[in-house]
Amino acid sequence: MQKYRLVAIAILIVMLAAFPFLEPEVYYLSFMFSLFMYVVLASSWNFIGGYTGYLSFGHAAFFGIGAFATAKAASMLELTPFLTILASIPAGALAALVALIVGYPCLKIRGPYFSVVTICFAFVVELTVKNIEFLGGAEGIWLKFMDIPEKLSRSILYEVMLLLMIVTLSVAWWLDRSRFGAGLRAIRSDEEVAETMAIPTAKIKIQAFVLSAFFPGIAGGLFAYYLTYIHADVVFNINISILIVLMAMFGGGGTWLGPIIGAVILTVVNEGLSTFAQAEIARIIYGALFIVVTIFMPNGIIDFFRKKGSS
Amino acid sequence: MKGKRMKGFSLLMTIAVLCGLMLTVPAAAIGAGKPIVIGGSLPLTGEFAETGQWIERGMRFWAEGINAKGGLLGRPVEFKIYDDQSNVGKAVTFAEKAITVDKVDLLFGGYPGTAARAVMPVAEKHKVVYVSMGGHMKSFQQGYTYSFGAPPLMGEWWYEGFFQWLATIPANQRPKRAAVYTINNPVGLALQDSIDRWTKKLNIQVAINEKYNSPLADATSMIVKAKQMNCDIIFANGFFPDGVTTMKAAKALDYNPKAIVQGVGSVVPAWIKELGADGDFVFSGTSLYNKLNYPGNDKLNAYVKTKYNLDGYPLYFGFGYAWMQTIEQAVTGAKSLDQTKIRDWLKTHKVDTIAGPMTFDKKGLPAPINFCTQIINGKVELIWPKNIRTKEPVYPKPAWKK
Amino acid sequence: MDSVLIIQSLISGIMMGMVYALLGVGFSLTWGVMHVIHISHAAFGLLGAYLAYSLLQYFGVDPVVSAAVSVPLLFLVACGVYQLLIRPITKAKEVIVASMILTFGLAIILENVMVLIWKADPRVLTPTYASGALIVGPFYFQYPHLVGFSLSIVGITAIYLFLKKTYTGMAVRAAWQQPEATQLYGVNLYRISMITFALAVSTAGAGGISLALLNSFEPHSHNLWLIYLFLVVIVGGVGNVIGTAMAGLIIGVITGLSMAFLPYQWVNLVTFGLLMIFLIFRPHGLFKQGV
Repeated sequence: MQKYRLVAIAILIVMLAAFPFLEPEVYYLSFMFSLFMYVVLASSWNFIGGYTGYLSFGHAAFFGIGAFATAKAASMLELTPFLTILASIPAGALAALVALIVGYPCLKIRGPYFSVVTICFAFVVELTVKNIEFLGGAEGIWLKFMDIPEKLSRSILYEVMLLLMIVTLSVAWWLDRSRFGAGLRAIRSDEEVAETMAIPTAKIKIQAFVLSAFFPGIAGGLFAYYLTYIHADVVFNINISILIVLMAMFGGGGTWLGPIIGAVILTVVNEGLSTFAQAEIARIIYGALFIVVTIFMPNGIIDFFRKKGSS
Repeated sequence: MKGKRMKGFSLLMTIAVLCGLMLTVPAAAIGAGKPIVIGGSLPLTGEFAETGQWIERGMRFWAEGINAKGGLLGRPVEFKIYDDQSNVGKAVTFAEKAITVDKVDLLFGGYPGTAARAVMPVAEKHKVVYVSMGGHMKSFQQGYTYSFGAPPLMGEWWYEGFFQWLATIPANQRPKRAAVYTINNPVGLALQDSIDRWTKKLNIQVAINEKYNSPLADATSMIVKAKQMNCDIIFANGFFPDGVTTMKAAKALDYNPKAIVQGVGSVVPAWIKELGADGDFVFSGTSLYNKLNYPGNDKLNAYVKTKYNLDGYPLYFGFGYAWMQTIEQAVTGAKSLDQTKIRDWLKTHKVDTIAGPMTFDKKGLPAPINFCTQIINGKVELIWPKNIRTKEPVYPKPAWKK
Repeated sequence: MDSVLIIQSLISGIMMGMVYALLGVGFSLTWGVMHVIHISHAAFGLLGAYLAYSLLQYFGVDPVVSAAVSVPLLFLVACGVYQLLIRPITKAKEVIVASMILTFGLAIILENVMVLIWKADPRVLTPTYASGALIVGPFYFQYPHLVGFSLSIVGITAIYLFLKKTYTGMAVRAAWQQPEATQLYGVNLYRISMITFALAVSTAGAGGISLALLNSFEPHSHNLWLIYLFLVVIVGGVGNVIGTAMAGLIIGVITGLSMAFLPYQWVNLVTFGLLMIFLIFRPHGLFKQGV
């Protein structure tokens, strides 16, 4: 079984990586880019939100920090395209560092109060960027084009985001079956009990939080390059924070597969609806999807299928 | 346990396959005699839905007209409009979809400024003409050659007409001290630009010069400050919601400056409709105007009167229409759908739109626009340039009616 | 910095804060009693505002009077929403999460239905007193603020009295404190939940009308309102009615003072920053949880 599964995953990865070589139209590359991006965001959010139950509603902050750090570095140091893409890694590290600093006091706060602190944090970061011209200000930052054909440049970004997704998911895969992951799950079911079981809850919570900020930071950096022009309203948008949470929870928080399924379904359905239906009707159908799925699968999609599979 | 995991995995595979299927939807074949497809995205839902929907209406009215006349280059025109849900990331993806998958013949402009700023590079990379309102002066200084503002919504020009008019009144009647409250975003910063230039020139002291981040929940203290500092002119450089909040506070606190100047808040039909007499006497700029004496304006006004019961078409309806007029003339003039030919034609020829004749410079911009508007008795009136004035400006502003 | 500016800012800040409290008190209750995070709470509030708008526009009904129509109407609608949508998910492992996802969907639907009915154009609620003020010495009490403030006091007091003085209200409190035991006494938890939910939604309607007197609104405005009420509820302590009112007051004071002392550019940042610091030091809100 294990062997078959590995082979299947390898085939899937090879297929995805080979996709740009079929010379698809640029849009498909862009769409898949954003799909991978949301998988990265939802899966990373899951490290903290899904496994420990600390629902962060401010993850767009890390995404935005990565985006602005990369854009600022690229425009200030006049980086080449290759270096700009690489710059997203230190930008992710910066996001992780911010998570470390903020996480230390904030992760002591539990339940809904933690959620609200993260919302406040995201606003503080967004407004700081807007108010300080050096950081990008209210004007935003323009990046230079890659001096290569558009299809090639989109293919490169596609492959890089795919790589980031594979790395993120590998970490998620490892976390799901590691002692670390088990510790995090214990926090979710009962933090006091976890402490009495000698699980260093404070430490692993921060580790999970930092990890969950790192990958979105990198994704933000790549997104900045993808968009060419970034503005605080765009990358710090609270809708991104909310969407990430919903994606992970929709699929099933605290599982490896849940956020992937949530991100894929919601992204594909949303994109498909925009194409086929009148704007407001499309949104109403999209809203109804959340209701119907929750009523029939109140514990997430993954849980629903697992139960079915075992019964 | 393993069975469960397998189950989950097969689910993932199914989704992957479904995704793949979605991607293979064939692009529409395009040939002669087939409609000319004009594509792109607008914010039809979400935060900017109101404006997006007005732009769409203006565009569709243009299409009705041209199809009745026998189409563009003898082919009917058709829109493929995506709803980007007021999301800039989606605006970019949909612009790419329109260009590369739908292979639309022409691209249309979007909203708001941040979306235009992000779509302009896409148009440039794909070498597709992009006629829109742009994202203020900075976006036109990036060296793009395929983007045109026809007409643009240009914060830097917005108050030009107002100040030109102000310069004509005797110096002792001009306001002496200004309160400037500016929304902290690209529009606001662009608006501030012309205030900085002109207040120096006209020797108006800027007593208060502050930015704020939206949302503006309350304007009481702003008005109190302006009142205490004896500011006899106030610039409320913001959008509709902050504009309304400021106006309500100004009236409630009985603040009576000689002039109230609004950013882009008072140019939507809701201003007059919702505020009534309280919205009167507010100065603002515009890029085009429904009483201008250029061909087409009557037709548009008659249409919005019957369809939406409005006196005069809204600004963004006009934008949607004017951008399409520009594209129409460029395509007709270039006699081709070749984007580079269309661009080159636009760079070298004059277009006539409802906003007047325009020729474009290297940046893709027409000559600076200097319209100044004032709301008088519930109607938007043009008060500058003088030769096309529709009504004498009311200055100083009468005290609030209680 | 003079005292007139400070006091004037405080006056409008506090009244505004109380309006947020009215909008938030029901949200706090559904969360506290039912463990339902009702994301579409503000959307229902917006619905109340739109109803008031139409009644004023077409029949000249004053917004305060129209509250007498829309509040019971929203109560009935909410009973239906509870039976159809909320009740089925009360068996979920994590009701909080399930309710969040479900009501998020409901908020999207409501928003777009409002676009279809009322169009996306922004609206302003302008009764005759919309921009008048009561002048006391150098201070201005703006009528819309006063009306919103009064509605808020009335609404929050009514909820408080309902919980303390009526039999149903006491059952709600009991259900919150000891759900199993309460059920043993023959209290129907579903009925209690339905009443709580419906009551919460109707206060949202009153809150929506009050807020619409202060600011213009559009179908998407509920997203912004939701953030405000989230903050008020958390500072006040989930499920705590008096706490929510106090939180409205405190947030009003913070906003008022920062509007008076700080450059406006930094007001929002300071407000959110202070809330963050506040929660770090008082991680369970200002007051204890509890009805």
